[in-house]
Amino acid sequence: MKKLIVSIGLCAAAVGSFARAADWRMDPAGSKLEFVATFEKAPVPGAFKEFDARLRFDPAKPAGGALDVTISVASADMSVADVNKEIGGKDWFDYAGFPRAEFHSTELRSSGGDRYIARGTLSLKGTKQPLEVPFSWRASGDGAVMEGEFAVKRGAFGIGAGEWAKSEVIGSEVKVKFRVNLRKAG
Amino acid sequence: MLRNDADSWGAPAKLFHWGMAALIAAQIALGLLAAAWRLSPTKIELFFWHKSTGMLILLLMALRLAWRLANPTPELPSGMPAWERAAARSSHALLYVLMVALPLTGWIVNSASNIPLRIFWTIPLPAIVAPDKAVADAFALVHRGLFVLLVLVLAAHIAAALRHHFVKRNAVLERMLPWRTP
Repeated sequence: MKKLIVSIGLCAAAVGSFARAADWRMDPAGSKLEFVATFEKAPVPGAFKEFDARLRFDPAKPAGGALDVTISVASADMSVADVNKEIGGKDWFDYAGFPRAEFHSTELRSSGGDRYIARGTLSLKGTKQPLEVPFSWRASGDGAVMEGEFAVKRGAFGIGAGEWAKSEVIGSEVKVKFRVNLRKAG
Repeated sequence: MLRNDADSWGAPAKLFHWGMAALIAAQIALGLLAAAWRLSPTKIELFFWHKSTGMLILLLMALRLAWRLANPTPELPSGMPAWERAAARSSHALLYVLMVALPLTGWIVNSASNIPLRIFWTIPLPAIVAPDKAVADAFALVHRGLFVLLVLVLAAHIAAALRHHFVKRNAVLERMLPWRTP
């Protein structure tokens, strides 16, 4: 009898903790989505000023989680006037044709310690590609910070089309770095 | 012979002179092509080589000026009129100023435009001014003005050297030739 009560109690605790960890929303203040392209082998940093992330995540049980990110591609800023003028064009991001990029993952797993991997699909400039996004998780009070970086091949999404596809001048690999401040939704 | 003396240029001075001449010729071609090319990877390549070469010229100029100051300068032929001496001295001084000022103003344009550069893909070039479009536009204009001035002074320099050789028949041109050892 005592055993039964204990196990019911454990079940309730488990359900309770799952419910608490169900939903996180991004706090735009301090959140960053940056990228680093290369220009004649010199790094050129940029950032998407507008993006949003939503997360269902329990660090103790990542398997049931989900991550949804939407990015306003036209908010890209590479802080070089001439470059900013170009990247919205058809050969690059094509703001008019594809103003939004999205990443959706329902496959989250631990990769040891405070590190996790979200495996999902990135839709960018009309192309969908599988992508693994590694991140670290740091909880504090009712907030949390997820941070990570990964690399994508711009060619896989047709970023830099035609004569820009060759990688000698503009490198093919683009590093993406993010820091997302999260608040428990409630 | 390494050092200059009163009559002749040493090997390093000749190497600086002709090496710089070759670099400036290449630099002018790269600059004109880069400016005229339509926006494409080729245009960026041309600018990359123009900027890298410019920074190489600036570095070599520091060495060249040090060498020039540490050595005697061969004398001008005796009997040269005063105005020719003044013209020779001031045009040489102006060439030195331009060979420093052109790379420097180019560096300012690049910095003010906030364009990253790794010289010859290796050495990161620091910015010398803050990003500012007005500054970039103004110095691009100065850079182009100095280029026009350089072309004019170079034309006078070459014409004067040929005049020394073919009209006045003195050793001024000949003593700078690489194969001639006095």
